[in-house]
Amino acid sequence: MKARAIVLWVAVGAPLLWGVYKTLLNAMKLFQ
Amino acid sequence: MAASFFSRESTIAPPDFDRSMVPPAALAVHLSIGQAYAFSTFNLPLTKVVGITHSAPGDWDLKNVVWTFSIAIAILGLAAALFGRWVERVGPRLSMFVAALCFGGGFIVAAIGVHLHWLWLVYLGYGVLGGCGLGIGYISPVSTLIKWFPDRPGMATGMAIMGFGGGALIAAPLSVILMDHFKTATSNGVLETFVTMGVMYFMFMMIGVYSVRVPAAGWKPAGWTPPMRVQPLVTQAHVAVDVAWRTPQFWLLWVVLCMNVTAGIGVLGQASPMIQEIFSGRVTPASAAGFVGLISLFNMIGRFVWASTSDYIGRRNTYMIFFALGILLYSSVPTLGHLGNIGLFVAAFCIILSMYGGGFATIPAYLRDVFGTMHVGAIHGRLLTAWSVAGVLGPQLMTYIRESQINSGVPKAQAYSVTMYIMCSLLLIGLICNFCMRAVSEKYHFRAAAKTA
Repeated sequence: MKARAIVLWVAVGAPLLWGVYKTLLNAMKLFQ
Repeated sequence: MAASFFSRESTIAPPDFDRSMVPPAALAVHLSIGQAYAFSTFNLPLTKVVGITHSAPGDWDLKNVVWTFSIAIAILGLAAALFGRWVERVGPRLSMFVAALCFGGGFIVAAIGVHLHWLWLVYLGYGVLGGCGLGIGYISPVSTLIKWFPDRPGMATGMAIMGFGGGALIAAPLSVILMDHFKTATSNGVLETFVTMGVMYFMFMMIGVYSVRVPAAGWKPAGWTPPMRVQPLVTQAHVAVDVAWRTPQFWLLWVVLCMNVTAGIGVLGQASPMIQEIFSGRVTPASAAGFVGLISLFNMIGRFVWASTSDYIGRRNTYMIFFALGILLYSSVPTLGHLGNIGLFVAAFCIILSMYGGGFATIPAYLRDVFGTMHVGAIHGRLLTAWSVAGVLGPQLMTYIRESQINSGVPKAQAYSVTMYIMCSLLLIGLICNFCMRAVSEKYHFRAAAKTA
């Protein structure tokens, strides 16, 4: 059950982290 | 077979079920429907469907295209209000599935609209059908999460609603990547992107459909006992949805949400031109886009942080902070602009937008405190009509006041000062309504109603 929970968290967390990363990259332009 | 899979009974969790699987199920839905906040990435490409690289005769006007998003948000509020009771009755699995069908299907219908070049079909697809998916999807996991996390309702719903803010962070770059990928000499890639996103979001939302479970009747977390100390505003009773909206508390919370959202959404919609005009010559369009991304990120973070904090300091105190700190920050914006300090200006708006998101994420737990868990999802759905009103009021106020200031000769850099003070007055109304919140009278409680019936 624990392993299923981890897989589920990775499945939804990975795209979110990618989105945050792309946003922060874009936000850097504000301070350049 | 299919009917039993979607029935509420088949979603009741076995005793060894790990409740940490429920928030990602809710996130799968909210991360998908949060795409709506990034729909503006399609606005310009939709005006170049015929001309491909430029707007040609026969192409749609921008002012008509932007209605797609407005329709979707208006339908979101209506669908949440209309289908709230149905969502409570059928449970989260079937409602998430219907949301996935509507939202994914909305993209496909909109793609057909692009193919046939019928804008009304895009409105019907993404706006109406997709809007139903947004409304049903938004409320579908809320009461389930509150029942799974009676010890941390703010954190649990905050995590899901954080997904709605985070969905835009994924969808904005993804839309650009997909349109670039599908771009050819005969297509600007919008149609193909709509189809891809429709299928992709449907599949992603199905993760939630398959994973979501409701707790068995009487379930509570191991070792947890409901607090014995009576907390003001937190009830152990329940109020039915048809009774709740007749209480003054419902309408006080409606105004609280509406004022908080009006102030935030006005800024969010005008963030890019605002920073460019206040810091004229120092902020380029590219860095203004960075500013919009940054405040969107804080909108997302605020949803989790503030809603989780409300579990410790109470919902009313959390909203008191939103309104009091909001008034302080909004009123300081003209001074920060005058001082020319971009860093402080950006920091102020990051906190403001975190409280905008926090307002959305804390309201389900506030409703649970005031009205109990029985119909909290349906009550939440009806309260979201405040969002529909704020979605029109905020941007219109911001635009109208700015234009009237410029027309009366105020320099563009100072045209936002009056707007900020008006936002302060809206927040003051919210603060007063929040201050007036009291526990719901026992005459409205479900058991009391049953006795008198």
